[in-house]
Amino acid sequence: MTPDMLKQDIGNGTIKSPRKVLVTGSSRGIGSAIATAFALSGADVAINFSKQGGRSEEQAKKLTAEIMAMGRNAVPVVGDISKKDSVKKLFSEAVEGLGGLDVLILNAARAPFKPIERLLERELRLLVETNYLGNIFCVQEALPYMERTPGHDKHIIFISSLGSRFYNPAYPLGSMKAAMEAVVRDLSETLSKRGIAVNAVSGGMVRTDSFKVLRQFIDGIERVPEALFVDPGEIADVVLFLCSPLSRGIRGQTIVVDRGLSNSLHRNA
Amino acid sequence: MRQALISDDRVIDELKKAAAETLTIDVATIKADSSLVKDLGAESLDFLDINYRVEQAFSIKMARHFIIEHIEEMFGEGTALDADGRLTEKAVKLMKIRLDAAEDGSGFDSLEPGMDMDALPAMITIRSMAKGIMDILDTLPKDCPSCGKSAWKTENETHIVCGACGAEAVYKNGDDLIKEWLQKTQDEHKII
Repeated sequence: MTPDMLKQDIGNGTIKSPRKVLVTGSSRGIGSAIATAFALSGADVAINFSKQGGRSEEQAKKLTAEIMAMGRNAVPVVGDISKKDSVKKLFSEAVEGLGGLDVLILNAARAPFKPIERLLERELRLLVETNYLGNIFCVQEALPYMERTPGHDKHIIFISSLGSRFYNPAYPLGSMKAAMEAVVRDLSETLSKRGIAVNAVSGGMVRTDSFKVLRQFIDGIERVPEALFVDPGEIADVVLFLCSPLSRGIRGQTIVVDRGLSNSLHRNA
Repeated sequence: MRQALISDDRVIDELKKAAAETLTIDVATIKADSSLVKDLGAESLDFLDINYRVEQAFSIKMARHFIIEHIEEMFGEGTALDADGRLTEKAVKLMKIRLDAAEDGSGFDSLEPGMDMDALPAMITIRSMAKGIMDILDTLPKDCPSCGKSAWKTENETHIVCGACGAEAVYKNGDDLIKEWLQKTQDEHKII
């Protein structure tokens, strides 16, 4: 992006950049907060959920209605990212509904909760197929659509977690997050030539549905001070920043949003 | 002994309350035979949240993993599910023995070999999940492990404590109970 382009996008300090955004796994939790933040910033959003007929579909439709009420376009799209055919269909429907694609947020995740050495082959495959292959399927499918969409401010953001750097009991997903952070660095180099910026945001402890699971495996997690819990909106704000021209100097990085949780090995009880 | 302290109805009511809070629905709409997935719209993460609420209510540890996962961990991958994720005949045999022992297989009538494992959660009802809670509560020892006296009493309707020394009741956890049952059943019936 050139300084002139940047001037076009920033008016009186406010970023004004109509966007077409797809957020995978956005019916609830962090994904939902990101979709809402984009809509509030003036973007049209595709809300992805994995299965028809469940609560996630209901929540995706509710979020869609909320975004439409903001005066933005929103499209609920079903699709399991671990299946290539399903990814093709979900992108085709999302792009048709949005009229293009500027930004892809890779948020969907699914994983068993048990120590790595106890994972069955089926569970290992699910882990890799959803959280590694699935994200790459999404990027591959998104690229032609992103390149065909007019505009010059294209971004892919991966939502990681502190599990990529620190041990958590029964959290094999952390290893996939670490792999994806490496993919982000790689893609950043190769896709920058095609005008697409790639970064990641690593969230600390967030009181989402996934946390509800973690609290069953990590004794004492409920005693972590409330001040160290991140609000999903705080992660969404950093995602928005990374998708803005203000982040033009940041490429291939994983930005940690954890209220300083990972800064210290010691904390007073 | 447990039933004199916490009745089966109390367990079912507490589970209904937990499900209503997790799924943000009116508790009055939940019946004992409601399927958590089909009737109440629960998804996999919801089960864990309901478990958590139940654990807080009764001071117990629910099973983290379904019986199918335990079968495969104990007896080898492929024993409970085939390569396509469908139930094997052996797994169905084991589960039917368990359901017969529970004297209430409601919701699991259509259990049969070849069924997709993803269809299993839809069979879980409030009543069948409550049975899992009761099984854990039924591991309450006769005497308090701390003081040796038999003076259990209920606090706040769902917490059992020792009336003599005040120690909290300690139960077996849900996963260990399933594993114990599987080993015992395998030893008796040699299914796998």
